[in-house]
Amino acid sequence: PPPPPQAPPPAPKLGREGFKKVCRSEEEAPCPFPGLASGVLEMRVKEGSKIRNLMGFAMARMQGEGLVGGGGGGLRQVVFTGSGRAVTKTITCAEIMKRNVGALHQITKLQYRAVKEVWESGGGGGGGGGGEEEGAAGEGGASEMTVHRTVPSVSILLSKDPLDPQEPGYQPPEAVSALWGEGEREGIGHAPPRKRPLGPLGPLGPLGPSPYAGSPHCKRVCLGEGGSVHPPH
Amino acid sequence: MTEPRSPGMSSMPQPAPVHTDATSPAVEMDPVEYTLRKRLPRKLPKRRNDVYVNMKTDFRAQLARCKKLLEGGGHREICVHGLGLAINRAINIALQLQASSQGALQLAANTSTVELVDDLEPEDPDEAGEPMTRTRNNSAIHIKVFYPDPQ
Repeated sequence: PPPPPQAPPPAPKLGREGFKKVCRSEEEAPCPFPGLASGVLEMRVKEGSKIRNLMGFAMARMQGEGLVGGGGGGLRQVVFTGSGRAVTKTITCAEIMKRNVGALHQITKLQYRAVKEVWESGGGGGGGGGGEEEGAAGEGGASEMTVHRTVPSVSILLSKDPLDPQEPGYQPPEAVSALWGEGEREGIGHAPPRKRPLGPLGPLGPLGPSPYAGSPHCKRVCLGEGGSVHPPH
Repeated sequence: MTEPRSPGMSSMPQPAPVHTDATSPAVEMDPVEYTLRKRLPRKLPKRRNDVYVNMKTDFRAQLARCKKLLEGGGHREICVHGLGLAINRAINIALQLQASSQGALQLAANTSTVELVDDLEPEDPDEAGEPMTRTRNNSAIHIKVFYPDPQ
């Protein structure tokens, strides 16, 4: 297919008024679980997916509702994958399923994925556009821009059957408490629960004496969108 | 701690329905306004090779810190943690480290759920509101970035 007529974008200001993401497609990537049977249920979590929809479907399949002669008790394995801003949601889905189903073995894999986005400037997008317009935005007509990005993605395999414990990213069932329990024992000496000299995230470098210390922040401020998922080149 | 952060509304006399059009649907207002304060996550393991990633510190600074631990610090493995929104950044840092090591570094990620506590403090002490707490869950990731042992 021919490249789009517009010049390659010099790192467009995402989230700038007037630009709208019209399309986002992930390019094919090899499955991070090579030995997996082909029939495994793959849940692709997107930014806008509702957790209750995803979980309603996946839980029903894992618990075997409505399946006839499927070996009894539903599917044995499920994979959750998500990239970019859907990563947190993907992990949350897996965590919910582990809690609800119980005794699941887990392997977590991380990789970069290439994503193609098409952005469109509609001329009159937001409504009452006050500030100056970007040069790239054509007057009147809608202009299109294609952006290739690499975003972090996560794939989580949950299985009722044992998985290879030697595989990097393997987590046995009910590993959560062990993971944090270990830290608790270590932390006992120097970290009383209610007052710590530093925030939980360690020395905060340029921000000076921990902004966390005295004032638990109220509402979360709007954190920069888009920019954070860019790997610096 | 004494000054409540004013979220714009606090200085106004409380309910004050200035113009309630007959057409507008009756908006369910909270009778008492609360300030939401998020407590810190509970205490966490902090070894020399643990890195807790946040969204306030510059990305490159956090990446550089990890690199320093692995290269100059002599650690054969570090553990990068991220909670909630910072999960993305933690993954990004781990993948960057791996990519710049020409395949020498491996990743092993685990996920978990962290229970967080919010305090709800009534804005106006005269109102009948009781201080409340609310717990919620958030997801977290723990990525071991390591040089695999030659075997």
